[in-house]
This record gives sequence, structure tokens and C-alpha cells, in this order.
Amino acid sequence: MNPEVMTAPSIDYIALLPYIIVGAAGVIGVIVEAFVGRNGRRPIQLVLAFGSLIGAFGVLVVNRTTLGLQAEGAIAIDGPGILFMGLILLLAILVALLMSERQLDPAGDAFAPRASALPGSDDERELTTRGYFQTEIWPLFLFSVFGMMLFVTASNLLVLFIALEIMSLPLYLMAGMSRRRRLLSQEAALKYFILGAFSSAFLLFGIALLYGYSGSVEFSVIADALAAEPGQTALVVGGVALLSVGLLFKIGAVPFHAWVPDVYQGSPAPVTAFMAAAVKVTAFGALLRVMYVALGGVRWEWEPLLWIIAGLTMLFGSVVAIAQTDMKRMIAYSSIAQAGFILIGVSTATAEGLYASIFYLVAYGFTTIGIFAIIAMVRDAGGEMTRLDQWAGLGKRSPLVAVSFGIFMFALASFPLTSGFIAKFLVFESALAVDNLGLVIVGVIASVMAAFFYIRVVVIMFFREPVEGSPAAAVPSATTTLALAVSAAVTVILGVLPEPVINLIEQAGVFLR
Amino acid sequence: MSVDNYIILACVLFTLGAIGVLVRRNAIVVFMSVELMLNATNLAFVAFARMNGNLDGQVIAFFVMVVAAAEVVVGLAIIVTVYRSRRSASIDEPNLLKY
Amino acid sequence: MDAYAPILVLGLLAAGFAVFSVTLTTFTGPKRYNRAKVDAYECGIEPTPQPMGGGRFPVKYYLTAMMFIIFDIEIVFLYPWAVAFDQLPLFVFLAMMLFLFNLTVPYVYEWRRGGLDWD
Repeated sequence: MNPEVMTAPSIDYIALLPYIIVGAAGVIGVIVEAFVGRNGRRPIQLVLAFGSLIGAFGVLVVNRTTLGLQAEGAIAIDGPGILFMGLILLLAILVALLMSERQLDPAGDAFAPRASALPGSDDERELTTRGYFQTEIWPLFLFSVFGMMLFVTASNLLVLFIALEIMSLPLYLMAGMSRRRRLLSQEAALKYFILGAFSSAFLLFGIALLYGYSGSVEFSVIADALAAEPGQTALVVGGVALLSVGLLFKIGAVPFHAWVPDVYQGSPAPVTAFMAAAVKVTAFGALLRVMYVALGGVRWEWEPLLWIIAGLTMLFGSVVAIAQTDMKRMIAYSSIAQAGFILIGVSTATAEGLYASIFYLVAYGFTTIGIFAIIAMVRDAGGEMTRLDQWAGLGKRSPLVAVSFGIFMFALASFPLTSGFIAKFLVFESALAVDNLGLVIVGVIASVMAAFFYIRVVVIMFFREPVEGSPAAAVPSATTTLALAVSAAVTVILGVLPEPVINLIEQAGVFLR
Repeated sequence: MSVDNYIILACVLFTLGAIGVLVRRNAIVVFMSVELMLNATNLAFVAFARMNGNLDGQVIAFFVMVVAAAEVVVGLAIIVTVYRSRRSASIDEPNLLKY
Repeated sequence: MDAYAPILVLGLLAAGFAVFSVTLTTFTGPKRYNRAKVDAYECGIEPTPQPMGGGRFPVKYYLTAMMFIIFDIEIVFLYPWAVAFDQLPLFVFLAMMLFLFNLTVPYVYEWRRGGLDWD
């Protein structure tokens, strides 16, 4: 018998507990789907989802001082990593609140009773009249959150790729599960899947090239190899470019943004909220870590690239959003523009830029959840009413909803006393600190243009007479109300009293390697 | 034969896959092109593993195969659903989502 | 070039046999024509598209393909593990058991939800 040539890796399971809780809850969710009767599934899935997300967040808070590389250097649990994971879990809890909403749609929740049934078929009608509900979406959701947590802390390009897929594959399916406008939703899923798979292939080839250059997929080894040989080789240039394409696609930066409006419009509103808030936070978390830790040595290589992409993204998003007539598409283009502003912070390659980006993501994430909570509420019997003119007079019919939507619009337009103002201020400040005046000027121009269409929504809601057949916002159940209240509160509090959060972010320090 | 040739072959296959995604109309063929891109990457990983003299690349190739399989399951589910509701697997035909 | 000669010979033999057998059957085989004979496929799915909405789509083939993929992935990792089993510590055994458990979960899900019923 041969001696053991491999020693067991040392794994600190306590430090990895947040991942284990969420991932295991997903697996248990699948077992529940297999063995529990139709009526018993939903309560158990809800307990699993909320229990695991809140539990993982609690463990994260308790563990916040145990920093270090885990699992043989594959996962870096450091200050920014814990911040990102905490933010993802909080946003996921709010999304779960939106997903469990059952009062807005007369037929039940926002998801098709069976995603495989033909749209408009007798089969589907029967499922609806019998009151069947889809509960598979909960394990999928938990798997996606698990992938996100792994994605922002991956310290190894292989783990990065696997985590990207764990995050994305459930999302492709969730995008196609809308109860209303099923064809639109299926089309969104198809587009998201094809383009997502295409971009992850680019990311993977980038990983292969960087592996060929450095002989390893560990971030630290790649960083050392780049530091030892600062010359540019074809492998480095190609690897950095392809890796960035994959990550910028998930962020939705121009010119990799084509999927964003279609997918945001077609997906059910809670899933869109999840994609717009959590996926964007996750993708930026991974981009920051890859750029700062692994590729920090070739900063001059990707900095100009990010400047150009940030500028294009801000301008394109702001200009095209003006022409939109559909609320979800407008928010989609606005989210493209917002991604451009965050990229300003990323492109500075300084600690200040890192802190500014994280603050911007916190502000943007909560505001976005609130926006989609309200979009899900403004509806008629056929589903969400997303045409802009249908929103006319909402201020008269449902003043409270319209006022909160106004707050979110002002936040995205970065008016003072909202979180968006502080966020944009910090980002511009970090860019000025590295003497990048040009990008700041482009950013200010884009902000002014963006303010136009945000204010236009407020004008439509409050100063235009309601058209025929535009109803008031539906009355939601307590879960949506809670999610909405939390996001509105965070948006205002971060605008008035940003100090505690800024301090928290700055205490977290920088990435470990 | 030097490792370079394998890398060049991998690049050619990857480019062919990317072109296939961009020019083909049938969702299944587009999907096969994506798989070609992933497998071209696998070839690059194995070739680089040989070049660098470590096994990491070969192990990664296993993981990529698994991810590709998972992608097939999810992708086929979506394509089959779209095909059933539209009787067509063309990616140009779904056109409800526009500006 | 010498190394490729056997392959060339094999290729010629295969092509020759194919041509030979196709030619032979046209002369020796019985010639009967009926409806099943002129169909595009003698068995399997009807080639004509079914009507929208009312038609049924044979999802079973697709489910079987998914099952194949589950076990395909299993083998990818099981094989190297089994080959090096005597050199691996207990940790790897436990990790593989966890992997197999995780693979069994979707299998059980498909079984409980009727994915294995052919009719």
C-alpha cells in the first residue's frame, strides 16, 4: 500500500459558517421540495430562507474579527469581504420579503405556478385556479446568494469562476418565472442565459491566459508574478482584458450592457430587484478584489480602460434613459449609468476609491430594492403597469407610495439629504484625489443629464392628471411594506447621517492577499 | 510538437465559438458554440498545465467540464421552454423586448 | 509518414466495405414498399410539428438527458478519486461522500416529482 501523499487541508469551519448555512439551507430546500406535500412546502421554505439569511448575517457579525485567508487561500475573509457579504445578505433579506409577497397579485405571488406549463394553456389556467404555487424558486434563490457570498470573497480565479456560475445559473431560471407576461419573461431568461454564458466563457479564457502567465490561479501568486516581471506580455494583456469583459458584463457596463434593459423588463419585479441590487454589488465586489489584489501590479494597464468604460457607461446610460417610456427599462438604463459612477471609484485604485465604491453600493442597493418594491405595487389585473404615462397622477391616488418613490428618484439623481448625494460626492472626491479631473467633469455632466429623467418621473407622478384606467398602487402585505420602509429609511438616513456607515467602511480596511 | 501549437489551436477554437455565437440564429447552435468556447478554454488550461509543469490546469479542466454540464441543463431547460411556447428556437424571433 | 500508413489502410478498408455493402443490398435485398417504409423515420418522434397549445412535447427525452449529465459529472470526479484512493487521507473520503450526497439530492427530487416515470 502506498503512503498517503496528500495531507488533509486545514479548514476553519467556524469562519466558513455563513457560507455553509446558506448553501445547506438551499440543499435542504431541494429535499423539502422532494418529500413535503404541496401545501406544506411554502412555510418550510420561508423559514429556511429567512432563517438561513438572518442566521448567516448573525454569524458574520459575531465572526467579524476573525480575518484571514481560509480554505488553503481560496477564500479571503477580510474587512471589505465581510462588508460585501453583509450587504449581500441584507439585500437578500429585503428581496426575500418582496418575493414572499402574496397580496398584490389576485392569483397569488409573482411567480408562475409551474414554469414549464405553456403560457396561456388550459394546463396553466387549471394550475392557477387550483391555487398551486411555485416554491422551487426559494432553493434557487438561496443557491444564488451562496454563489454571491463566495464570489465577493474568492481569492482564487477558479473559485471566482465557480462562484460566478453558482450565482448566475439560478438567476437565469428565476428571470423566466414571471406569473404575468410569461412570453416576455421567457425571452428575458433566454437572452440573459445566452449572453451570460457567452461572457462567462470570456472570463474563463481570461483566467486560462493568466494561469498560463503565472502558473497559478491564486490571486497572490499572480500578483507576485506581475510584480516580478513588470513587462507586458500578450498573455497578461489578453488575460486582463478578457477577465474584465466577464466581470463588466455582470456589472452591466457599456459596451457589455445589452442584456440589462431586456432582462430587467422581462423578469418578475422581485427578481429584477435581486439582479439590480445584489448582483451589481457582488460583481463590483469581485471586480474590486480582482483589480486591486491580483492585478494591482498592472494598474496602468486597466486604469485607462476603466476610465473610458466609466465615462461611456455614465453618458450612455443617462442619455438613453431619457428616451425611455417604460418604467422598468428606464430604471435599467439608470442602473447602467449608476454603474458608471461606481466605476469611477474603482478606477482610482486607491483605498479612498474602494471606500467610496462600497458606500455607493450600499446607497444604490437599498434605493433599488425600494424602487422595485413600488414598481411591483403599481399594477392592474394584467400585471405591473410599467408604462410611464400610466404612472400619471399617482401622487393624488396613493400619496404615500408616490412620496417614497420620489425620495428614491431624488436619491438616484443625487440630491442633497439623500444617500445618493453623499455617495456621488465621495466617488468624485476619490477621483479628484488622484487628479482625474476629466472623469469627474464627465461624471458631473452625466449627473445633470440623469437628473432630468429622474425629476421627470416625479413631475409625472405629482403634476400630471391621471389618465383613464390608471389605478392607485395596490395595497401590499406587511412584507413588502417592511422592505419598502427599510429601503426608504436607509436612503434618508445615509443622506443625513452618513458618518457611522463611512466609519464602518473605513475601519474595514483593505483587501487581504 | 511545442505547447504553443495547442495554445494557438485553443485560441482558434475559442474564436470560432465566439463567431458562432454572434452569427448563428438557432439557439441550440448558439449554445453549442458557447460550449465550444468552454472546451477551447479547457484545451488551453491543459496545455498551460503542461507548459507550467503543474497539475492545476488539468484539475481546472475537470471543474470547467462540470460547470459546462450544469450550464447545459439550465440552458436546455430555458431553450426547451421557449421552443414550446413559440414553436421556434430562433434567437431572432423572440422580439417582444425592444426599446 | 510511415506511422500513418495503417490508418490510411484502415480508412480505405472501411470506405470499401461501406460501398460494397450498400451496392450489394440494392441487388440482393427484397423490394417491398409500404407507408412505414417511406416515412422519414420508421420509429421515434413524428417529424411534422404538432399544433400549438394542443400538442404534447416529449419532455422525457430531455429529463433522461439531464439524468445522464448528473451521472456523467459524478464519474468525472469519482474516477480520479478511485484511482488514487489508497494515497488519500480520510478527509477526501468524507468530501467525496458529501459530493455524492449533494448529487443524490437532485436525483431524489427528480424521482419524487415523477421525472423517472416513463408513462
